[in-house]
Amino acid sequence: MTIKETEQQIVEEFSLFDNWMDKYQYIIDLGKSMPVIDEAGKKDANLIKGCQSRVWLDCREEGGKLYFSADSDAIITKGIISLLIRVYDGHTPDEIIESEIDFIDTIGLRSNLSPTRANGLVSMMKQIKLYAVAFKEKEKEAAENKYSVEDVQKNVIRALKQVFDPEIPVNVYDLGLIYEIKVGEDRNVFIKMTMTSPTCPLAEDVVNDVNNAVSDAPGVKGVQIELTFEPEWDESRMSEEARLELGLM
Amino acid sequence: MHFAQDGITMEGKKENILARVRQQVPALSSKMNGEPLVYLDNAATTQKPVQVLDFLSDALKNRNANVHRSMYELSDRSTSAYEGARERVRRFINAPSRENVIFTSGTTASVNLVASCFCSKFVGKGDVILIEADSHHSNIVPWQLAAERAGASIKVIPTDVMTGSGRSGRLDLEGLDGLLSDNVKMVAVTQISNITGLRNPVSQIISAAHSKGIAVLVDGAQGIVHEKVDVQAMDCDFYAFSAHKIYGATGVGVLYGKKELLEAIPPYMGGGDMVETVTYDKTTYASLPLKFEAGTPNFIGAASLTPALDFAEYLRNGEVGEALGSEEERIVSYMMDKLDTPGIEVYGKPDSICGKSPIFTFNIESINAGDLAQLLDKMGIAVRSGMMCAEPLLNTFGAVSALRASFAPYNTLEEAETFVRCLERARTMLS
Repeated sequence: MTIKETEQQIVEEFSLFDNWMDKYQYIIDLGKSMPVIDEAGKKDANLIKGCQSRVWLDCREEGGKLYFSADSDAIITKGIISLLIRVYDGHTPDEIIESEIDFIDTIGLRSNLSPTRANGLVSMMKQIKLYAVAFKEKEKEAAENKYSVEDVQKNVIRALKQVFDPEIPVNVYDLGLIYEIKVGEDRNVFIKMTMTSPTCPLAEDVVNDVNNAVSDAPGVKGVQIELTFEPEWDESRMSEEARLELGLM
Repeated sequence: MHFAQDGITMEGKKENILARVRQQVPALSSKMNGEPLVYLDNAATTQKPVQVLDFLSDALKNRNANVHRSMYELSDRSTSAYEGARERVRRFINAPSRENVIFTSGTTASVNLVASCFCSKFVGKGDVILIEADSHHSNIVPWQLAAERAGASIKVIPTDVMTGSGRSGRLDLEGLDGLLSDNVKMVAVTQISNITGLRNPVSQIISAAHSKGIAVLVDGAQGIVHEKVDVQAMDCDFYAFSAHKIYGATGVGVLYGKKELLEAIPPYMGGGDMVETVTYDKTTYASLPLKFEAGTPNFIGAASLTPALDFAEYLRNGEVGEALGSEEERIVSYMMDKLDTPGIEVYGKPDSICGKSPIFTFNIESINAGDLAQLLDKMGIAVRSGMMCAEPLLNTFGAVSALRASFAPYNTLEEAETFVRCLERARTMLS
């Protein structure tokens, strides 16, 4: 079930109750039936502050999907978290980060909470998204370390060959616009490059294209680009292939 | 037979009086979440009688001009209302003169003023400021700040929970004489604790302190509502309270101080109205009470103390006072009785020395106070949950939060019964 579908399901469940005491009873029952978090998960690092009650939220990853467990000394709070967990559980970090959930407003929960509790709810949602972001980073890092510095160097070149000069139908690498590629031990990439002419009106676009292509190259952590016109570019810098391509040979 | 009939007429009369009082406070007949509002957060702020509401609107319409400054009729009217309220306060607390009555922005500001100015003059390195364990944060933190600046330290008059002699929350005065050592320069006490609701033996602490020449400040934020205050009989050196907790406007407080002390300590803030003559090098200060009222005061809010204290006195005197007094006694014994049940711990149990005001703070075993408050709100009941600005005291009971129901003289036994009924329902839902 997608995040949206689960949300819709919750909205329908709540529409069955016609008064707020019953809705609260339902939330309380959810809180009571929620699996208890183990003591290890109740560490300070998992504690969300800023509520009248204390909330612990733990997150684990399995097969690229995130699963949450939580606890609170307040049952209503716990019930609300169980709704959040039901919505987010078993989704990938990207799905969680991109989701915009609104069932809390749709069922009127937010307006029926005291402002202190509503703030607590916001911090819980923030925390869930932070977990998703953190796992995504971790995933990326793990992937990066699969590549050696040499691999990354090759990947960068491959990526650069996908970026084309806007005026000449040759990629920036074979055109000889790339003066230097340095891949650090930390997989950060430094690129020194130039343009065919210092007055090139599209310079910014080209640099952006290079930045995007290299950032997405497997194993790359970060990219830094330096644009230079020392020495000035000339046709002799083109590769053989480029010259063939342009009929210069 | 004759007696019983008499009893019925008495009851009927009391009900009429209660109804008449409540009609004068419009908020009390409003609805919350579809239910009649039962407002039991009076220790945080009180609802306003129509006399105060009308006064505020009339003042903004017909008397709005800055005070003490100008030569025109409108400003004279405003100044008279402001100074009239000062006289009203003086009479209400029986201060000797208007010079003893300073308007501030609230109890917190009053305590801060004394902590800052008294301590800069009279407290030095190695000195001690004695505070109470059952204090509101506003009667703790200002002293900590002042002590830090002066190189002084803080000591605490404990409760029986802290000395291990009980679990009532009453102050344990056994060791008071020992605590009042030579280097103690100030004792900051609380007339009625906003958590325990207990009426502290303030006079006893004051005379013990005075016998050693130590000054005493009394936090009267709750006391002003539930006690008849006579600062001269009490003999405190400073007394602080807020207007909004006694039916007046928010953002206004009072500091009473003995004249010789107010004259001895330096001004708090500098600015307009607190000066006599100003040159670029040196300023001489206005005489009391304006010396401590820098800048434009909340003159409309302060003036609202006149109708507010009139109302407070009306609730306290004559047959109204009698009716409300007996209702309050019944509320206190009803609540203490109902809360005296397994699984509930009340923080603040009275004895023959410490009476109980209608402020009830408690926890129900393994139920979060915030959950209770939230369900009660859905049933139309406004109560406070959390730490109530008294984190250290709650911690001594091993609690991180609690539920508090605080009654004002305009609350009824019927409301107490509604509260208990709804509390039971919430408890059942949550356990």
